[in-house]
Amino acid sequence: MITKNSRGKSFIAIGAISILTLGVTAALAQKPPVRRGPPGLSTMDKSDRTMSNQSQKLRPHRAPPIATALDKIPVGKLKLPAGFKAEIWSHGHVNGRTMVWGSKGTMFMGSRRIGRVYAVVDKGDRREVKTIATGLTHPNGLAFRNGSLYVFAIHKVFRYDSIEDKLDNPGEPVDLTQAFNLPPEIHHNWKYVDFGPDGKLYVQVGANCNICEFNPGIRGHIRRYNADGSGMQIVARGIRNTVGFAWHPVTGELWFTDNGRDWAGNDGPQDELNRVPRNQEGANFGFPYCHANGIPDRDIVRPNPCAGVIMPAALTGPHAAGLGIKFYTGDMFPREYRNVAFIARHGSWNRENKFGYDVVTAKVQPDGTALIQPFMTGLLDENTNAFFGRPAYVLQMPDGSLLVSDEQNSATYRISYSGPK
Amino acid sequence: MRHLTQIRWRLACGLVAAAICAAPTLAEDTPLSKRIKDCAPCHGPDGNSRTATIPSLAGQPKFFILDQLIFIREGVRPVEAMAPFVKTLKEDEIVALAEHYAALPPKSSDENVDPALVVRGAALALRLRCASCHLPSLVGQEQIPRLAKQRIDYMNEVMKAYRDGRRKGGDSIMAATVFGISDADILALAHYAASR
Repeated sequence: MITKNSRGKSFIAIGAISILTLGVTAALAQKPPVRRGPPGLSTMDKSDRTMSNQSQKLRPHRAPPIATALDKIPVGKLKLPAGFKAEIWSHGHVNGRTMVWGSKGTMFMGSRRIGRVYAVVDKGDRREVKTIATGLTHPNGLAFRNGSLYVFAIHKVFRYDSIEDKLDNPGEPVDLTQAFNLPPEIHHNWKYVDFGPDGKLYVQVGANCNICEFNPGIRGHIRRYNADGSGMQIVARGIRNTVGFAWHPVTGELWFTDNGRDWAGNDGPQDELNRVPRNQEGANFGFPYCHANGIPDRDIVRPNPCAGVIMPAALTGPHAAGLGIKFYTGDMFPREYRNVAFIARHGSWNRENKFGYDVVTAKVQPDGTALIQPFMTGLLDENTNAFFGRPAYVLQMPDGSLLVSDEQNSATYRISYSGPK
Repeated sequence: MRHLTQIRWRLACGLVAAAICAAPTLAEDTPLSKRIKDCAPCHGPDGNSRTATIPSLAGQPKFFILDQLIFIREGVRPVEAMAPFVKTLKEDEIVALAEHYAALPPKSSDENVDPALVVRGAALALRLRCASCHLPSLVGQEQIPRLAKQRIDYMNEVMKAYRDGRRKGGDSIMAATVFGISDADILALAHYAASR
């Protein structure tokens, strides 16, 4: 009986909506017609749907939400320059991506869909993985300062104080969501965050579309805050979706990766590695009008789309999905790696022949551009167009070795060097 | 006003589901058949739902079911009516349930499919590139769900939820795909998909 009543009420409610809608439609019909895009498209989303050949090789890949068994983790496939070797450092942290160090040696990992934050504790011969938060929406943004772990899950911001003293029972975090006042849309809004050399907390906000115009004061930029969420300033704008940035150890300039638009062909526009030149904070990096090294957008056409746009320091490949970036400051690797950036390329989805799935180096040139070269490969078989893992982020260890997270296999690889220097 | 009505409508659906669905068995190590019996009152004994706004599971790709059960269990895709059923599910049970439903033959929905909306929906689906992920037959693949023969009322609600930022969990590419499209277009897409 309850069921019938509930349903009956609901159907009446829907009837009422239909009548209201009819009334609104009749009122609108008397106004002059408004110019609209093709049917089925938002007037804001400008991507050219007719470009699609409905190819089934252009779809997103699956990240299995179950950890790869230890003996199936493809560490044996990794290829590195002479003298370097890779080993599994940690595993079982399902879909772990971002990595930050706590001050007492805990490695914290953020994730996307699985909604978890992990703490990885080094026990000497093995690593213990603890899940310290669950049920969050894409908690990809992690930062650590003064004993506190900051977790950014889209627009929600939590601070776990003295977290390393209570990993088994983290308790309720301090909720800073209101102070940061970030947009709540999920798409391209999984966060990357980090404390800069100025002590400010830098936060990305992506464009919530593939290709569209948006309010540049709300989206498509990197902003910074005081650690309590006050004093917001926009640092760089015209950015589609950066999920990795770092500061050059010598110049202190901010470098960031940016993922180029999709559905505009296999070859591009290429992803970008960008540098925010000193004293040009707030500068424009082109999205959505100007891509890569000066390619006007095909769908959103405006005069001089690249005027005033800062060109990338390097192109990082079509649909390559460069995510994490860190400059190397350790002593373990040969001297030529000093101040060179390592970039994890997650690998393409919107491209028929897969590309990326590796770690590259970006060597900064005297003119401020960067030279991209392969470093860790082997996770992509170009002959069969198959991939075996997806590098997401990099993190330097205290001994100068390098951690690479593999989201697909829920593992991290430790890359060390023991050859001649 | 309209927003409030929609909330009531969803609440009503939840109540319907809770009233129809049997109380879950919470004992550990429940055999698969017992789990399937828990699902049947809402999703249909053969995995083809005859319940308003409840999705059919028959013929869904294995990985899609597996992913969703894990996302719902983790609370990243909150579904109140599902919570008691999934919270004790272990990984191997989830894999077994996914394999079970993936192997069942899908049947057409018992709703009325409007041929005019099907024609309109087919043209929209082409523009929105649905086939790139869901395949031209809309049977889905891997983590991407089958839409063919799915319930119209379910798909209508889910696409709106993606568009309006209410659908949590999973990938956000669907949010980008239905970004800003109208209710009428979403309904047409639902009729088209159900007709496949």
